[in-house]
Amino acid sequence: MIGRIGAIVRADFLIRFRRLSTVIVFLLLSAFAYVWVPNPKTGMTLMQINGARVLYNSAAIGMGTSMLATIFIGLFGFYVISNAVRRDIDSRCGYVIASTTVRTGEYVIGKFLGNVVFLTTFVAGYMLASMAMLLVRGEAPLEPLIFIKQYAIVAPSTIVFVSVAAIVFESIPFLSGRFGDVAYFFLYSLSLAFVVNMMMHGGEGAARYFDFSGFGYLMEQTHRNFHTDSMSIGMSPFDATKRVLVIDGFNLGGGAWATRLVSTASSIPLLLLAQLFFHRFDPARLRASGAKGKRGWMRNFNALARPFVRPLAALPVRGAALNDAKMTFAATPFAGFALLGITIASIAKPASVVAGFALAALFIADVASRDRRAGTTGLIYAAPRLRERFVTWKLRSAAIVAFLLLVAPLLQAALAQRGRLLPLVVGIVFIAAAATSLGVISGNPKTFIVLFLTFWYVVVNDNGATKALDFAGFYSTPAWTVTLLYAAIAIAFIGTAELVHKMRLSS
Amino acid sequence: MLIIEGVSKKFRGGNYGVRDVSLSIGGGVIGLLGPNGAGKTTLMQMIATITRPTEGTIRFQGTDVVRDPDAIRRKLGYLPQDFGVYDNLTAVEFLSYFAALKGVHSRARVGEMLEMVNLHNVAKRPIGGFSGGMKQRLGIAQALINDPDLVIVDEPTAGLDPEERVRFRNVLADVGLGKLVILSTHIVSDVESVATHIAIMSGGSIVACATPEELMRGAAGSVWEMVVPSERFDELRRTARVSSAVRKSDGVHVRIVSAEEPGGGASAAEPTLEDAFLHTMSGKAAA
Repeated sequence: MIGRIGAIVRADFLIRFRRLSTVIVFLLLSAFAYVWVPNPKTGMTLMQINGARVLYNSAAIGMGTSMLATIFIGLFGFYVISNAVRRDIDSRCGYVIASTTVRTGEYVIGKFLGNVVFLTTFVAGYMLASMAMLLVRGEAPLEPLIFIKQYAIVAPSTIVFVSVAAIVFESIPFLSGRFGDVAYFFLYSLSLAFVVNMMMHGGEGAARYFDFSGFGYLMEQTHRNFHTDSMSIGMSPFDATKRVLVIDGFNLGGGAWATRLVSTASSIPLLLLAQLFFHRFDPARLRASGAKGKRGWMRNFNALARPFVRPLAALPVRGAALNDAKMTFAATPFAGFALLGITIASIAKPASVVAGFALAALFIADVASRDRRAGTTGLIYAAPRLRERFVTWKLRSAAIVAFLLLVAPLLQAALAQRGRLLPLVVGIVFIAAAATSLGVISGNPKTFIVLFLTFWYVVVNDNGATKALDFAGFYSTPAWTVTLLYAAIAIAFIGTAELVHKMRLSS
Repeated sequence: MLIIEGVSKKFRGGNYGVRDVSLSIGGGVIGLLGPNGAGKTTLMQMIATITRPTEGTIRFQGTDVVRDPDAIRRKLGYLPQDFGVYDNLTAVEFLSYFAALKGVHSRARVGEMLEMVNLHNVAKRPIGGFSGGMKQRLGIAQALINDPDLVIVDEPTAGLDPEERVRFRNVLADVGLGKLVILSTHIVSDVESVATHIAIMSGGSIVACATPEELMRGAAGSVWEMVVPSERFDELRRTARVSSAVRKSDGVHVRIVSAEEPGGGASAAEPTLEDAFLHTMSGKAAA
């Protein structure tokens, strides 16, 4: 049994670490360590408490960077690792595995441990890069054990939770597709907010045992040691007039070790769900669950929506971009319901345009990558000029879908608040460009979904306080510089995608 | 060795993938022939315990494998249709992985298998750079790594060039000695040189199961040869069941499968397995 689980873990590790994308993410994470530990002479710091910066010693940098690592692993790690079962389905190696004496439990545990090993390696690499930053900034000597201690206290709970969630989501039919990708994002964000909120308002009881992100624990420690809830981690400005704080890092006293241990272990029983729902590559169950692309629940919704969208999908249109846009509605008729929902919501409550953008983003997420995933790129490239103009074609297609879905807010702006029309148009072009660029570069819709939802979540929570974040003028008519900024970012997105596409064609 | 009794697979929508199939197979290489959608893959997946039959029993060496799937899994080698690989692994890593899953811990065995399928020279190269034929040979190596008593290979030659197909057939012929091999295909030439028995499937059912000789004897008197001018060939192809046609200087040499003499100077010919297959399928269509 151990030998078989070990073989699954080893194979997963080798497969993942030999991918170019893994190496790039690994290098990017290391680069983040450099950015996140800024030189205090610039007026910025990794961590400040009540406006005072903390001295860059092993405890502080270990604490700050480990918390940032948990955010990244929690939000993005899921999307990086949630393809372990899918890989076996697509390659059909799963059929061979199903025909051996490997138990379902062994497979689930093997994949779970594979996820754990992969994420742990990532975090370890990032920790080493952060240690190097301590030496670079040179404010205190490197104390490796103290540094490692910070990571050992907060990172395991996130790594285990994300590893469990990935395999559970892959095993449960209706969570194994795009719906699951979106659901996870909100699940993680809510769990983070819930635990922190509970712990900050004294309701520490059970919540502290489900503190997967470690943020509740961080807030508790800050409150206990510094009698404040005002602190920030990540590159932020500090008050240079305040005395530099020296901190000792995380403390496991007062039963904290038990809460961290339970938070790490409390998600593991969820693996039983994976065991219960796992299809063991049975084609009958795969077909029913739609694990080969036809999501069961989505298929039902689409079947329901098809009659309403049929007239739209049957419109005789000319031009490759319009036809590709039409394909979105024909392939996902549920987009028709989204159009109806956004229109009604916009009329009833204009502020709902923020949610409309999130919905539109989900429907344009796969426009640029669906041909590659369906294996029809060759057919597309055989059509006149599409090979060379693939990126702009997909941009136009995604923009048409987004404009159509958001037609009601656009009309409202055109009729009632003309000053908001241009920011809205630029906002739509911005999401279309981001979806196209990230789809072309990564070859899957997940990258855009997770990055955009993260950005959208920040924008919504910021509630218009930071003008530069209001990319489509949701909360007020933005300054022209903001509109110009997002137009420039959209151009940069497309320029990068064009560059990558051209390089691929030439190679 | 393998007894299949009244096996059916009904899908959720009410369609049958396989319907009331019964077979008794002793040993050797069994060719499972049939057009696409005949139910060959579903039948093989049920034997390989990947999916359960909705009705019937499958017994292997006396054990009901539906109730006790591990009884067959320990002695099974399976190569699925369109078998993919993990491109980033090397051949030896890939084979070691499946060896471990099947409880084989001998490194020497991995080496032996790679040598058998003639991949030992590229053992440490990433599989992503392999040709389709090399990947299929690696696939058969993983199927054989646990020295199985039953080997199931599903459409193994699809997408291979003629040279690789011949090479793959030879590997299967060697494997067939002392084991039970079930080879599914819709290409008759894949099985005619290696199969000791042939089962023909259509519409989810077995329509014939016999030795190749018996199948060919059954088609005797129903196969005709004739030479027709090129301009008549298109019309003939529309009206008769043509099993092969070769253009020569004197016209098109045509073989026709027909219960009655097609006329036009046709003479009776000795059936090939291809003719016998078409004869069986035409009988099924007529029924």
